[in-house]
Amino acid sequence: MESELTALGDIRVLDLADEKGLYCTKLLADLGADVIKIEKPGGDPTRFIGPFYHDERDPQKSLYWFQFNTNKRSVTLNMETSDGREILKKLVKTADVMVETYPPGYLDDRGLGYTALKEMNPKLILASITPFGQTGPYCDYKATDMVAQAMGGIMYLAGFQEDPPNLLYGSQAYHMASVHATCGIQTALYVRELGGDGQHVDVSMQESVAIAQETAIQTYDLRREIRQRTGYSGLVPAHPGMGTFECKDGYVNIFMFTGQWLELLEWMESEGMAGDLKEKHHDVVDKLNDYLAIFVLVMDPEAYGRFLKEEYPPFDEHLRAFLKSHTKEELYNGAQQRRLQLSMVSTIEDLLGNPQLKALGYFVDVKHDELGDILSYPGAPYHLSETPWRIRKRAPLIGEHNEEIYEKELGLLNTELMDLKEKGVI
Amino acid sequence: MSKNRLPFEGIRVCDFTWFAAGPIATKMLADHGAEVIKIESMVHFDRLRFVQPVADDKAGNLNCGGFFNNFNTSKLGMVLNLEKPKALEIATKLILASDIVVENFSPRVMEKFDLTYERFASIKPELIWVDQPMQGLTGPHKYYAGYGALITPLGGLAHLTGFPNRPPIGTGTNYTDYVINCGHLFIAIVAALRHRQKTGKGQHVVMSQFESAVSILETAILDYTVNGRAHVRNGNRIPHAAPHGVYGCKGEDRDCVYITAKGPKKGKKNDRWCVMAVFNDEQWRAFCQVLGDPPWTKDPKFETLADLKENEDELDRLIEEWTKGRSPEEIMHQMQQAGVPAGVVQDAEDILTRDPHIKDRGYYIYLDHAEAGRIANDGLPFRLSETPGQLSRPAPLMGEHTEYVCQEILGMTEEETNQCYVDEVFL
Repeated sequence: MESELTALGDIRVLDLADEKGLYCTKLLADLGADVIKIEKPGGDPTRFIGPFYHDERDPQKSLYWFQFNTNKRSVTLNMETSDGREILKKLVKTADVMVETYPPGYLDDRGLGYTALKEMNPKLILASITPFGQTGPYCDYKATDMVAQAMGGIMYLAGFQEDPPNLLYGSQAYHMASVHATCGIQTALYVRELGGDGQHVDVSMQESVAIAQETAIQTYDLRREIRQRTGYSGLVPAHPGMGTFECKDGYVNIFMFTGQWLELLEWMESEGMAGDLKEKHHDVVDKLNDYLAIFVLVMDPEAYGRFLKEEYPPFDEHLRAFLKSHTKEELYNGAQQRRLQLSMVSTIEDLLGNPQLKALGYFVDVKHDELGDILSYPGAPYHLSETPWRIRKRAPLIGEHNEEIYEKELGLLNTELMDLKEKGVI
Repeated sequence: MSKNRLPFEGIRVCDFTWFAAGPIATKMLADHGAEVIKIESMVHFDRLRFVQPVADDKAGNLNCGGFFNNFNTSKLGMVLNLEKPKALEIATKLILASDIVVENFSPRVMEKFDLTYERFASIKPELIWVDQPMQGLTGPHKYYAGYGALITPLGGLAHLTGFPNRPPIGTGTNYTDYVINCGHLFIAIVAALRHRQKTGKGQHVVMSQFESAVSILETAILDYTVNGRAHVRNGNRIPHAAPHGVYGCKGEDRDCVYITAKGPKKGKKNDRWCVMAVFNDEQWRAFCQVLGDPPWTKDPKFETLADLKENEDELDRLIEEWTKGRSPEEIMHQMQQAGVPAGVVQDAEDILTRDPHIKDRGYYIYLDHAEAGRIANDGLPFRLSETPGQLSRPAPLMGEHTEYVCQEILGMTEEETNQCYVDEVFL
């Protein structure tokens, strides 16, 4: 039987985040935290981001909203009114964590800055996810996902050298900032468990993506060389037989980091597709197969250039022809059986059909009663044996838990609620 | 808890991870006070030690690799040649003296050495055991091999990144290693640590890097399972904003060395770009104003978001005519002052040496490394006001703390440790 315990079942989170922090509060909610999404009356702006369920443009049917708000509860609250702020203060007293993404200073101006919140609840952990952090000359600058990817250096590395740099798909700066904010919150929660108070967690989107520049910073620091976009190879400089290659029905990626050319050539040979490479060019085979030799060779641009021009071409030619004669699945499975480092470039369809994800039970069904439908969601990023990740319920409807939270938990009277509703507070 | 105590002080981590997705997670633990003991051997050293970049005068020195050193700050390093029975004995002792064990080998490796959760759970129930294999510990592909370089394409991100008329080359990096998979792992580890603090119980954390990578595809999965729509590469555009793209800017008359797929290339620093993102009418009006309201911006085909989307190719061309004569910094400042999200597509030189904001916040931390010299390290990706982390030491030299670990932690005698060197247990 699966454990009913959750890692964060005792933790309440107030979610005042926009796109920058939605994944953070989802991570917390899926680990069991009681995440209360604070929405504007009428619905959070992110409910209007598509795609939509069956393409019906409706704030209750945004798949973007569904994806990032699993397990959360929702109340509506107008923060721009003093009544609204008073209610928020009541909620703050019951909360362990608050996640916000306002420009620095916004909460302070409304009497809800970290110092004020701390007075209300010394145990509160406030996580602020902003484009550039709480301090510094650009702290008031605006950034969308793309601006953070650009300023953090990862865009510059993506794409072909002759093209403009590429945006990474799927709001990766928002994801990375959210992941780091969650790391910070988890650490702060642990500190609290040791007897510590709450604290302020400052996350800058720009800094959050910076480590994903891979070796670019160190390449500049140690060699004064500026790493550029790598095109097919994925590496600077390109290594023989590594990178993205076309096959019969799509693409595969090869990363033969460990000297496996002999194995690869035997595979090609077994299908009569290695020509005379092994007989005629065994010195090149030896070179290719010795990954240390390749690394040393790559360090010497001149010798390496000669190698690529004079010795490597027949290998490249045969390899490409071999790959083109197979499907990505044949190559992926065939290579892995030979323990060669090759994977397919999966399409979404490939992922849904992937036998490993199926065996792991990765995709999970979530009931949506209002839609009379069960939708298949991406699943657990990690498995904890005692306190498992789980989607317990779908994302909330607009203000779905107003009554439950305001009346039952905060003890507001029904008449007060009606009044607040009339004033546009909730 | 006092302010100068680090969050994970007193927590010992026995760290078998290598490459990036594991080591960055344990770096975050170490930078926040955990005693992380990284285990390697000359037979099985962390391969990042000899991957570029390394300074020219340090080529071939396994202690000077910039890739490795950046991901292993604040850790202790020991060598242990697991092929020797005595080494396995020492590993077992160290595991039993640890709070957390982390590994990211193929399941084959830990099975071979019988270093598994099952073996230790009954002896030490408070132990947190963390496996981070590529694809999981069960299932038909559990032994499939890979690195971050393969997980990014396998996980779907490569297929969706880039221009529609170009092949799916991915992100130019082993993307999922650096934040997604290590960050997810850190989240799971600290969740387990907090649970242990509350209940005294350890647990088994398993992260399949493949599953973790598929979790960050935004709505690509749901749009497919719900609407049957398969997302494709869409370049730098997104459905609900325009203009939204990368625009070529004026180069600088200054020498630099670029390193490309074809090797180093000397030239002028002329590969310069800016990004701008317009999401609503207000921003569009501000944007046009910064451009000086040229006549084309009044054209009805550029009036509403729908118009802008429909004529996006032409729009982008017209914008680039303006950006081409300006530096990306100048454009960013002007646009930001007008309230339009914009930025420089910064390269590593820009970020490390020129970005005044990064400098002001002190993101990069320079440490004096015994062999590599003074080197830049990624700092803290989240800043805690009361118990902030710190990079307490540079990455360990190969085997730097072997004796310390064996004698101070495991209580071995000097004679015993010396014998281990002789017998190539420490190699």
